[in-house]
Amino acid sequence: MITQPHLDMQHIVKSFPGVQALRGVQLQAWAGEAMALMGANGAGKSTLMNVLGGVIRADDGEIRIGSKAVTLRSPLDATANGIAFVHQEMALLPTMTVAENMHITRFPTRGGLINGKVMEARCNKVLSRLGCGFSPRTRVQDLSTGDRQMVEIARALLSEPSIILFDEPTSSLTSREKARLFDVIRALKQEGVTIIYITHFIDEIFQICERVTVLRGGETVGAGALKDFTPDQIVQLMIGDLDVEQREHRAVKTDTPALRVNGLTRDGVLNNISFTLHEGEILGLWGLLGSGRSETVRSVIGLDPLDSGTIELRVNGALKTVRPSEAQRHIGMITEDRRGEGLLLPMSVKNNLSLANLRQLLTQLGLVRERDEATLAQQFVDKLNIVTPNLRQPVRTLSGGNQQKVVVGRWLELNPPIFFMDEPTRGLDVGAKAEIRNIIFQLAEQRAAVLVISSEIEEMMALCDRYLVINRGQIVKELPGNASKNELMAAAAGAASEGMRA
Amino acid sequence: MTTEKLTGYSAAPPRKAHDATQGEALSSRLIRAIPIVVLVIVAIFLVFGVPNFFTQRNITNVLVQAAPLAIMAIGMTFVMITGGIDLSIPSIMAFSAIMGNLAVRDLGVHWSVGCIVMLIAALLLGFINGYAVAYLKMIPFVVTLAMMTVVTGASVWITNSVSLAAMPEAFFDVVLYRLQLIEGIPIPVIIPFTLLVAIIAIVVIRGSIFGRWLYAVGTNVRAARVSGIPTQRVIFSTYLISGLCAGIAAIILAARLGSASANMGPDGMVLDIVSSVVVGGVSIYGGVGGPLGAVFGALIIQIIGNSLNLLEVSYYTTLIIKGFVIVAFVAFDSLGRRRGNG
Repeated sequence: MITQPHLDMQHIVKSFPGVQALRGVQLQAWAGEAMALMGANGAGKSTLMNVLGGVIRADDGEIRIGSKAVTLRSPLDATANGIAFVHQEMALLPTMTVAENMHITRFPTRGGLINGKVMEARCNKVLSRLGCGFSPRTRVQDLSTGDRQMVEIARALLSEPSIILFDEPTSSLTSREKARLFDVIRALKQEGVTIIYITHFIDEIFQICERVTVLRGGETVGAGALKDFTPDQIVQLMIGDLDVEQREHRAVKTDTPALRVNGLTRDGVLNNISFTLHEGEILGLWGLLGSGRSETVRSVIGLDPLDSGTIELRVNGALKTVRPSEAQRHIGMITEDRRGEGLLLPMSVKNNLSLANLRQLLTQLGLVRERDEATLAQQFVDKLNIVTPNLRQPVRTLSGGNQQKVVVGRWLELNPPIFFMDEPTRGLDVGAKAEIRNIIFQLAEQRAAVLVISSEIEEMMALCDRYLVINRGQIVKELPGNASKNELMAAAAGAASEGMRA
Repeated sequence: MTTEKLTGYSAAPPRKAHDATQGEALSSRLIRAIPIVVLVIVAIFLVFGVPNFFTQRNITNVLVQAAPLAIMAIGMTFVMITGGIDLSIPSIMAFSAIMGNLAVRDLGVHWSVGCIVMLIAALLLGFINGYAVAYLKMIPFVVTLAMMTVVTGASVWITNSVSLAAMPEAFFDVVLYRLQLIEGIPIPVIIPFTLLVAIIAIVVIRGSIFGRWLYAVGTNVRAARVSGIPTQRVIFSTYLISGLCAGIAAIILAARLGSASANMGPDGMVLDIVSSVVVGGVSIYGGVGGPLGAVFGALIIQIIGNSLNLLEVSYYTTLIIKGFVIVAFVAFDSLGRRRGNG
């Protein structure tokens, strides 16, 4: 074994306005080995990888590759230094061929025209190295997900890299495709390539990695040979101290069902999802990104299509089966994409607040009562403490927290019995997060039924009365409100591997 | 969490940012205002440079000429606020005028039934446009371009390119009726009627829930959908409205021209409608503007056309000038948008 690390990152520091993302991270990786990079959301994994990829520049620190100090000013620098990325989201152009996709940034040319022969020859070489059976002339849209992943890897290999980063490569793969990916990674290791492997699935790193580095809060909190760790120890390192957080609210949960869904299914996305949401309850839908958590709530209110399943709502005291479009009238929805799906950015605070509630503001002639609209808007601006110079202010100019309060306020004006909140505090600062959480508590105390989705485990633990664990489009477990961090993390990661074997 | 802490957090609003963005919004509004100012100046220059412009006769003439354009521009405004476009308005107008005349000539119906036929024909074609765009999710540009071609073709085919003058005198007497409100100055009833259409459109767009939904859909259709707005129905309705406006314009123009023909809605008329709407401050990107602006725009376009005509500038030169006007307005709109960041 070579004692000198091939990649050596020391004291990497990076801060963004208001956030210290990296506080002196260390990372060492050896040639011919796979290094697992672990960490919860916000631990600094992405920032660190963006530093290595030349996408952002660190404020301080040193990067050595093969004992030579390097400066990475741009993605081009990273490529020149033998670093390649295999991205989580597949950045392929579906209507173009495999060869074209692989060469999209650097077509070989002759006399100003693309040299197809050279391009295909290069592709064939790399594809055979990966053991791929398809031709470089195949259009990407005709390939399976696993094969597309191979095209991504082939593209990364074109530059003959000595370091390859895999970011969540298995999140959309079947178990057979995953096995093939692991074979490829093993082959790359034998060729002496340094692999950095990022994943949420703890069982995977024990299959494919030799070493592990764990980040938490922008610091390296653990590193070493994987054989010295148990999965539980890694989870503990990721989430820190295991004290159960003080729950912020008194449960007002009732046993009166407000919403019951049965067998929600959409081919390849949702698999037989059933649950009941009670009045006064804050229910957490806990799962990783891409687990189907957002798709579940979206399909209930008709934003996403549904193949089968029934939705029952409490209307006038009795549960009644409704269609998604009707369910939408009774459910306040806060989506994870505030700017894209929440707000009319150029329009005023007042207009944004009244958007869902206009039907209640009509005169007999069918016109909107502007005075009532303004009064109501002012009422919610005061109640939610929305900082805006006046009601005519375009929402675009407000801070993120105030924008989010406008989205929440829109639904409070309508006052529906059920709320779905998908990442309600994403991107907000600590103070704004707390304000949004308080609003959620108040809603539950007024007997609204609230379903919350969040990637932040602390937030889920502070809010929820009960958890449903979702993975690969299936509800795999139900946990009580007093479940520990450890149980939750294990449920999301452990259940993940069960789901895959199934 | 105490309230003290909460207010502590929110007591520090980014004041400077507000001021800066307000400044930006102002400069964006100024940029958008530049072409309108230029155009008004040009119009005034033409008006004073043109002999006989200020005769009472010519003014009335310009207003009557502008009426069908203004009504079609109002219809287009509804479509464009949601971010769509309807290129088929003039062709639908010509087609339904022909249908109305045919009904009177071949079926022997009363002229008022002929008018209703015009409205229904236009509504039906608008229905097809709206259904294709809203429910089949086809691109408005393509749908209405195809509609324009098909309907124009049908008009030529049905009429053999011959004008139809089937309407009886009574039709012209009613539609072209002149009110004698002020002694010695007859006002064609078309003018107050167009004003009425404009007022209804303004009230619907500014005051009704449908109006709010239009802007919401044009500004961010996804957010509109999440907020429970029936976005497909809203988009569908806009094409019905533009169809209806084409039908109303058909009645007026058929009366003014004395006949209906395939070329009463030439290609250049689409250009005039789009110019009117964008000159009136409706954004081609959706979400901005209103019918008042569109009527104002129609008036300006008509004045420029009329004046160039009186100055004996050729039709083709006029087309070139109008084309430049549209490009300039869209460019300024785009620039203002970039400044205003939305």
